[in-house]
Amino acid sequence: MTVRKIEVLSPRLANQIAAGEVVERPASVVKELVENCLDAGATRIDIDIEQGGTKLIRVRDNGRGIGKDDLPLALARHATSKVYSLDELEALTSLGFRGEALASVASVSRLTLTSKPADQDTAWQVNAQGRDMAVDLTPAAHIDGTTVEVRDLFFNTPARRKFLRTEKTEFNHLEEVVKRQALSRFDVGFSLTHNGRTIHAHRPATTMAEQQRRIAQLLSPDFMSNALVIETERAGLKMTGWVGLPTFSRSTADMQYFFVNGRVVRDKVIAHAVKQAYRDVLYHGRQPCFVLYLELDNTGVDVNVHPTKHEVRFRDQRLVHDFLFSQLHRALAEYRPDANTPVAEQISRPQVPQATGIEAGEFAGQQALHMQPAASSYASAPREPLPVAEQVAFYEQVIQPSTATAQASAPLPETQSSDVPPLGFAVAQLHGIYILSQSEQGLIVVDMHAAHERITYERMKQQYDNQSIQAQPLLVPLTLSLSEKEADAAESFSSLLQGFGFEVDRTGPESLTIRQVPVFLHQSNASALVQSVLADFIEHETSDAILAHRNEILSTMACHGSVRANRSLTIPEMNALLRDMERTERSGQCNHGRPTWTQLTMKELDKLFLRGR
Amino acid sequence: MIHFSLAREQLIKPLQLVSGVVEKRQTLPVLSNVLLEVEATELLLTGTDLEVELVGRVTLSEPAEAGAITVPAKKFLDIVRSLPDDSIITVKQDSERVIVSSGRSKFTLTSLPAVEFPSIEKSSDHEEYSIPQAQFGHLINATSFAMAQQDVRYYLNGMSLELSPGMVRTVATDGHRLAMSSRQVEGLNTAEKKQVIVPRKGILELNRLLTGGEETIQIYLGSTHLRATTSDFSFTTKLVDGKFPDYERVIPRGGDKEVVGDRQTLKSIFSRAAILSNEKYRGVRLILSSGNLIVKANNPEQEEAEVTVEVDYEGPELEVGFNVNYLLDVLNVISGEQVKFILSDANSSALITDFDDDATAFVVMPMRL
Repeated sequence: MTVRKIEVLSPRLANQIAAGEVVERPASVVKELVENCLDAGATRIDIDIEQGGTKLIRVRDNGRGIGKDDLPLALARHATSKVYSLDELEALTSLGFRGEALASVASVSRLTLTSKPADQDTAWQVNAQGRDMAVDLTPAAHIDGTTVEVRDLFFNTPARRKFLRTEKTEFNHLEEVVKRQALSRFDVGFSLTHNGRTIHAHRPATTMAEQQRRIAQLLSPDFMSNALVIETERAGLKMTGWVGLPTFSRSTADMQYFFVNGRVVRDKVIAHAVKQAYRDVLYHGRQPCFVLYLELDNTGVDVNVHPTKHEVRFRDQRLVHDFLFSQLHRALAEYRPDANTPVAEQISRPQVPQATGIEAGEFAGQQALHMQPAASSYASAPREPLPVAEQVAFYEQVIQPSTATAQASAPLPETQSSDVPPLGFAVAQLHGIYILSQSEQGLIVVDMHAAHERITYERMKQQYDNQSIQAQPLLVPLTLSLSEKEADAAESFSSLLQGFGFEVDRTGPESLTIRQVPVFLHQSNASALVQSVLADFIEHETSDAILAHRNEILSTMACHGSVRANRSLTIPEMNALLRDMERTERSGQCNHGRPTWTQLTMKELDKLFLRGR
Repeated sequence: MIHFSLAREQLIKPLQLVSGVVEKRQTLPVLSNVLLEVEATELLLTGTDLEVELVGRVTLSEPAEAGAITVPAKKFLDIVRSLPDDSIITVKQDSERVIVSSGRSKFTLTSLPAVEFPSIEKSSDHEEYSIPQAQFGHLINATSFAMAQQDVRYYLNGMSLELSPGMVRTVATDGHRLAMSSRQVEGLNTAEKKQVIVPRKGILELNRLLTGGEETIQIYLGSTHLRATTSDFSFTTKLVDGKFPDYERVIPRGGDKEVVGDRQTLKSIFSRAAILSNEKYRGVRLILSSGNLIVKANNPEQEEAEVTVEVDYEGPELEVGFNVNYLLDVLNVISGEQVKFILSDANSSALITDFDDDATAFVVMPMRL
């Protein structure tokens, strides 16, 4: 083999190599260009695409523009106006900062950049050619702002071109990029055309309704009518956005958008926190939908992790994780079957009236009145079946304090609409499985077993949470062989493990001995659980695997301890169940994520019978 | 072609025991069958699940045709069970079918050839011991409850059987509690100590064969199998290949607090308090003071049970938690009137024995409540 001499790469080749990292397909070009527009303070961005972006990508903005003197540098590598010093890099406010994008794109396409700052009389155009990427500056006609035109992407790198998919696929990727940017900046207008056809056109959205309309257009109108509004701030972290109800889930994770300081991010920590928040309410194998914006101090997050900036690193990973988890978890838990949830009603269901009787305050007051006695009495009631008459009397006595629910035991009166609770009053039981209830809006159908299962489960969880940790020392300790890394984690997190009731000793570089386990685990495979907990510790510095396992056990117990199908219930029993649902967290889904109730409004019923047409 | 007849009461008991070994759900069809073999005047019934094999022997009073065939165990047993007590049952092979008839009832069963029926390989080198059935039964009964069930530590899913000169010892543990029992057996001729682990199912099936009479049971111990024979049965089980935990280290020494109480009384107060213990993990608190034992239980609904009983105890006050099921299991197998608890502190295991019989001991770990 001949000895090859070391040589400095030509600028174009160096840029082409860099392009390999950043410019993967037309969509990545659009991402870089749109981010530049946003960094330039544009309020309107027009994107024209031809042939899925392989023929032409033109991005025009009305931003600050680039001065004539700066233009040649704009296409040079490692040249940027966004960052000057390391201090600025550590507290980034712009989306881009590497100073590579334009150079990289220019090296694999025919790129022209036209720009006119407002304070300059004429516009100038620049393009780079040849192996040294020599720039060529010419005067041009352009309004205030910048246009970047990328033609024949990958014309000089056939290998890359071969990897491109069909025009349609490439455009779908590209559209996804535009969608994300449109979601990240409501204050900017976007338009996207493909082969001359308008695909998206969004005006700047300032009000909540406009923003929700944009999301409905970009994702799906169903998402907006099934989403909860999140707005919360704590410890320097601010989260806003929309999360889909557990019943509105998808089979793939394609409707998940998370923005950290306006930047689209797909991060393991975030994914884990969200997954954990949805545990227990999401049907097996389904993916939640969300559009969430996290804002935190720029110094608290490092975006210089990956060239495409899809990943970020949080300075205080655990804080972010716990914040996300607790806020989302609470939002999902607090969702109750009353029409007053801050769902984006105005778009999908403008007909929903602001029912007076179920205003949160009034309802909460009723809850406080008899929450305690009711909960404990119901808990013991189903265990020893009383004769029916006694049972009715019992329930009447239980619900006595509340005037609203006392009516429940009367044979369905012509109730004043203001007194009807969210889930209404039971009318009948269908085939021993479903409860039919008349609510203000129409008909509510409740899956009796699923609903009762959730109520029992939540009650058990609460009871167990209130107990102190109980532990069972082992007569024959369990030995566990694992990797040194895991054993190290067990040592450094031993106090956390102890908090759960575990007692773990390190007996060698790669072995642990479990001397004590939490009592509820005494019949489960403790070693497998410890291993998954340690894996969580290594990855996220926190773990809910133990709690999840406990909840699984409770869930099975709850399933067995709940009324089964074909058990006939009396009207007062059904009403009691409905009231229980109204005050139980997460009562919209059973333990396995199946919905517990659904509603047929009068409108929908009328439609079925062609009434009022 | 096999052909024999015999009285129902002669057939039903061995058939019941043999079918007990046969697993309900099978992937290998022949394993759900029972093998019938006739040689001269003897009928052999065999059932197996490849881990445990049981052969029952019945002597036929009427002349029979020799042969071998397998029939579905469950159906055959149900048929025999449903026939009147005093009926005579005739079994006859008709090409690939087997006809079972009695009086005016007739059943035609499918069959599989006897050659397909697997037999556990009998190892040739083995040692032979002879133990009185009553004693062996006692050893198993005293400890079998503590065997683990489907534990990942497979060696706990069985019972340790230890043979030493003049002595047999059984030990079982599931990692939370341990039971150990020893019995002197005269004339047990073994040169050295031998310890094997008999799987859970083997122990449970073996226990059903023991009559508790004066008869002896012959134990043949091979390297991978244990065979036990009585006059009516021959039972073979595979042994668990593993090392049983060192139980001597687990037995607490130096407990200084000795509590003696009436077994029946303790049993009833434990079960009384247990009503309000947690359904899932059954924790109860034992509070000892001079002459007195208080048993307390709480459940997640915050209901509380408190039962006090007089016991024979002198010493400082002590509070310790236990899984009440473990205590009840122990009290159920002890046969004496008085039981003795030896404790040292709230974190150390308790040693429980029959007051009059030190040869059987139980160790229960406390629970941190």
